[in-house]
Amino acid sequence: MSGPALRVFLVDDHALIRSGIRAELGAHVDVVGEADEVPSAIEMILERSPDVVLVDVHMTGGGGRAVIEGVTGRDSHVRFLALSVSDAAEDVIAVIRAGARGYVTKNISGPELIDAVRRIADGDAVFSPNLAGFVLDAFSDRDGPVAPPPALDLELDQLTPREREVLRLIARGYAYKEVAVELSISVKTVESHVSAVLRKLQLSNRYQLTSWASQRRLL
Amino acid sequence: MDPTAAHRSTGPRHGGTGRPERPLRRSVDGCFIGGVCGGVARRFGVSARAVRIVFALLALLGGFGLALYVVLWVLVERRGETATIASRIVSDRRELQILLAVSTVVLALLITFEALGLSRVGNVAWPLSACAIGILAVWRGASAQERVALQEMLSSLPVGSLGSSRSWKSIAVRVAGGIALVLIGITMLSKVGQQPHAARGALLGAVVLGTGFLVLFAPWWLHTIRDLTTERRERVRAQERADVAAHLHDSVLQTLSLIQRNADDPKEVARLARLQERELRGWLFNPATFGQRDRSPRTIVEAAASVERDIEDSYGVAVELVVVGDGPLDDAAAAMIAAGREATVNAAKWAQAPRISVYVEVEPDLLSMYVRDQGIGFDVDAVPSDRKGISCSITERMVRYGGRATVRSTLGEGTDVELTLPRTPSGT
Repeated sequence: MSGPALRVFLVDDHALIRSGIRAELGAHVDVVGEADEVPSAIEMILERSPDVVLVDVHMTGGGGRAVIEGVTGRDSHVRFLALSVSDAAEDVIAVIRAGARGYVTKNISGPELIDAVRRIADGDAVFSPNLAGFVLDAFSDRDGPVAPPPALDLELDQLTPREREVLRLIARGYAYKEVAVELSISVKTVESHVSAVLRKLQLSNRYQLTSWASQRRLL
Repeated sequence: MDPTAAHRSTGPRHGGTGRPERPLRRSVDGCFIGGVCGGVARRFGVSARAVRIVFALLALLGGFGLALYVVLWVLVERRGETATIASRIVSDRRELQILLAVSTVVLALLITFEALGLSRVGNVAWPLSACAIGILAVWRGASAQERVALQEMLSSLPVGSLGSSRSWKSIAVRVAGGIALVLIGITMLSKVGQQPHAARGALLGAVVLGTGFLVLFAPWWLHTIRDLTTERRERVRAQERADVAAHLHDSVLQTLSLIQRNADDPKEVARLARLQERELRGWLFNPATFGQRDRSPRTIVEAAASVERDIEDSYGVAVELVVVGDGPLDDAAAAMIAAGREATVNAAKWAQAPRISVYVEVEPDLLSMYVRDQGIGFDVDAVPSDRKGISCSITERMVRYGGRATVRSTLGEGTDVELTLPRTPSGT
């Protein structure tokens, strides 16, 4: 660990989960606060400006998405990592499109979570295997080029073959380092591929993404 | 309830600021009906009073202004809300059906009017009908906040209070009006025979008579309907609550007590917790397929999920399953899943890894399945005979269907099993 400890903020409506995460992260990062509801979370995050916010996807009052939307635009320094027990595709896609830079499930191990937090703080994206799976699913052309949106942006709405390979390995349970070894590229290159995919996930107009998003009233 | 009348009767409570504001949103405060005029005024930076006058003048043009007003009401978001009334209606199948049914009836009536040659009615009837349907949409699709605002607005109107208030005066007005209309209607119907346009007279008489009955009985009728729907909703809600409680008791509470009893066996606790998690997840997120897990899997996703479930239950290791795409479970796919199951069982038995990653991808021309663990690994060329047999059965299964199996393993790092199977898109 170099430099000052990362400042992390927890938002989750379950006290048990918060204390669990705090216990796992405590020694490695500086947990600067926690909140259990949306309005107080937004207020405290804006006040303390942490490096990374771990935010629960499902909470009353709009959930993680409301927190992200309440902070984004007012404090661009803060980065979000979504944390959830759910792996329903539309929930995951909705928080990512709201601006979270990654998504992990709550059964992630302690060291993996710390690694994910560091990565988010560095501006990288964190994809759990099932998020990688969703993305491959959403960007597949399995059903043929059916009903492409009128302004299909080729750059944004398709994955490059290399990005596909990287995602496939992540979905198979490979860590970034292992992906790099497998494809004989550097970890930095893996990170930049994943960041590019994140950007597409947030900006693309692909039908699957927008319909998932609109199911959650995102648009 | 004539919007233009309300517009003209009172002055604007907040005028335009002179500076246009995007995007167009219906205003919330200082509005009389739907906040459309205020919203338009803000959008173009003019005074709300001017917009209201324009709408009122347009309304005199055969009701065009009224229709425009209602259309904007339905299609423009209220300030501070994220969905329009139209989008709320469209996303709710039942509301959409109600609206479509009513629209069809109204359309049929309009066409009947036209066919009977009632052209004087026809000119105004179209925009007025559009308004009525729009107002029905507003009534069914308005957000909770807007509903409250509308109720306040309605109860402040002298006409609106007729239906709900129980004062003698209002009831007297209603009854007198209703009886008058009924009498006029009967008189018109009784004179039908003497008129040249008998059909037209009969129709008009019937309409007036119907309106009379409506004025007389509508409040009572509305009350009854409201009570009935509230009661039904309450009953449905109580039923749902009972179902949830029963399910939680049968599953979650039972598992929690089992976990307490097995508190000193971490492996069993983890197994129980995972079992319960999966069951609850199935109940919450896939209610349609819940309870059918005993039937044999019919799709690749179901088959892969059964591998995950069985191995987690039998061996107490976590299986992280990711499936991309889906398809019917034909013989070849079933063979691949069976081979993958063998590989996963091997990993669970021997690898000493806490977690096994299983990845299945269905592409138009290729099926693939990867089983990976980060356990102790083994030397592929020097496997003990009992394990070689199993890896052979994996390979042979795949080869029989024209596929391929590759096993890679490094001591101390883990094992990777890769299964691929070419696929004919239309099935075998």
